[in-house]
Amino acid sequence: MTDLHWLSVAEAADAIAARELSPVELMQALLARIEKLDPRLNAFITLDGDQALAAAQAAETEIAAGRRRGPLHGVPVGIKDIMDVAGLPTTCHSRILADNVATDDAVCVSRLRGAGAIVVGKLATHEFAIGGPSFDLPWPPARNPWNPDHHPGGSSSGSGSGVAAGLFPMALGSDTGGSVRNPASCCGIVGLKPTYGLVSRRGVFPLSFTLDHVGPMTRTVADNALMLEAIAGHDPLDPGSAASTPGHYGAALGRGVRGLRIGFVRHFHEVDTPAEPEVTAALQHVARSLQVAGAELRDVTLPTLAEFGAVNRVILQSEAWSIHAKWLRERPGDYARFSRRRLMAGAFMGAGDYVTAQRRRREMMAAVEAAFRDVDVLLCASSMDPACRIDHLEEVERTYRRQARTPFNVTGHPALAMMSGLSKGGLPLSVQFVGRYFEEATLFQVARAWEQASGMDRKHPPIG
Amino acid sequence: MDKEIIELLARRAGLQKAMAEFPDDVIAAARQAADVAAAIAAPEDPRAEPWPPMRAGEGL
Repeated sequence: MTDLHWLSVAEAADAIAARELSPVELMQALLARIEKLDPRLNAFITLDGDQALAAAQAAETEIAAGRRRGPLHGVPVGIKDIMDVAGLPTTCHSRILADNVATDDAVCVSRLRGAGAIVVGKLATHEFAIGGPSFDLPWPPARNPWNPDHHPGGSSSGSGSGVAAGLFPMALGSDTGGSVRNPASCCGIVGLKPTYGLVSRRGVFPLSFTLDHVGPMTRTVADNALMLEAIAGHDPLDPGSAASTPGHYGAALGRGVRGLRIGFVRHFHEVDTPAEPEVTAALQHVARSLQVAGAELRDVTLPTLAEFGAVNRVILQSEAWSIHAKWLRERPGDYARFSRRRLMAGAFMGAGDYVTAQRRRREMMAAVEAAFRDVDVLLCASSMDPACRIDHLEEVERTYRRQARTPFNVTGHPALAMMSGLSKGGLPLSVQFVGRYFEEATLFQVARAWEQASGMDRKHPPIG
Repeated sequence: MDKEIIELLARRAGLQKAMAEFPDDVIAAARQAADVAAAIAAPEDPRAEPWPPMRAGEGL
């Protein structure tokens, strides 16, 4: 058997079902790896090793008694620390909530546990899922396992770092302006922002009510589909929850792309925000590979990244201000400088700015929907650069804006980021696929075709 | 946006403590807000509705 820490969710599940691997053995191997690597990566805020081992023992007993719950049973998962896990702190990586202990599981956590997954701990994030890597908080920022001097992306930084480093095979992240897909891009894993409303946000600390999404982060496309199947579904107590029936998201994984129409949004990385040449070359390579595999490629034009970005920020910062105003008035010094600046911006947005952004948003949704009349999936850039150094804060600020993820928080379409290659410096490059509302299965189909052609699921960081 | 207007808006938002302790951050936040709001072109059609739409009775 391969190293236990590089087993995918599906491989671990198969080995557990065949009694070739015990959940306890898997958990012990991962806890040993966490002990060895996390002091360099800082992926964890709270490690819950004893509870995780006890849950692994319980899973082993249940499976041995013939009560296997499904493909996640006995498989470890990491949880971004803005999501409630009963009995553990939800700090949001902030002094403001340092002593906040959750009494219930968030719905996404409870669904994973219901499917048999085992929570190994709570993961580093940018403070309140905004801001950036901050060195003025009680916990250090997570680092990139491909090179710990570099940024792992964010805000789901511990989720990206830990999955890529083999500390756990899957994690939950949240995505308001790209926070699942940015760490997926920087760390070379698979990150999905599902359709808005497909996964419940109840029990997840909000950043922006109309932009927040919960999404799965894994090392393979198939694992991402498995995880989505566990967490998707209507929640009557989440006002944004969609009245949709979850599908079999892995149904089309092996079908290839023959006959699919893929729209290439070139202007994002060629005109709006010109990408680094190696990012552009990798995107061309992905497009060409899918074409060779039988997809029909068409150019697609959408509104500009600058306008998508402005709409996203006005909405995000206005809604976030409404959430944080009391603390920013009374305890501004308890925030990191990075997040304090970003969150206070909402205080200076006018009501008219917010409504104008929401009106423009509706037009942007219609523009993307119009594009989907002619294509099945969109292909575009995710990050325009490989991850920068984590201690170079000007560069972190500069590269943060150079991305094409926010358009799909604005429109709510499902979007998946994954590795497109490696830079000359040995850091992951990325590609993004975008689907029609609730057509995550088609997204996975295309992503799997690229993964199969490129072998990206077998590329791991040289750490450990 | 000049400093006097920023101070006025910051007081209205209740950010006196932040203004006293972190004036650079308040000013940066205000300028950022003004820049980003100015980058949005309002819909040309005055009847263009916002998203999400009001749907009475849903999501309660």
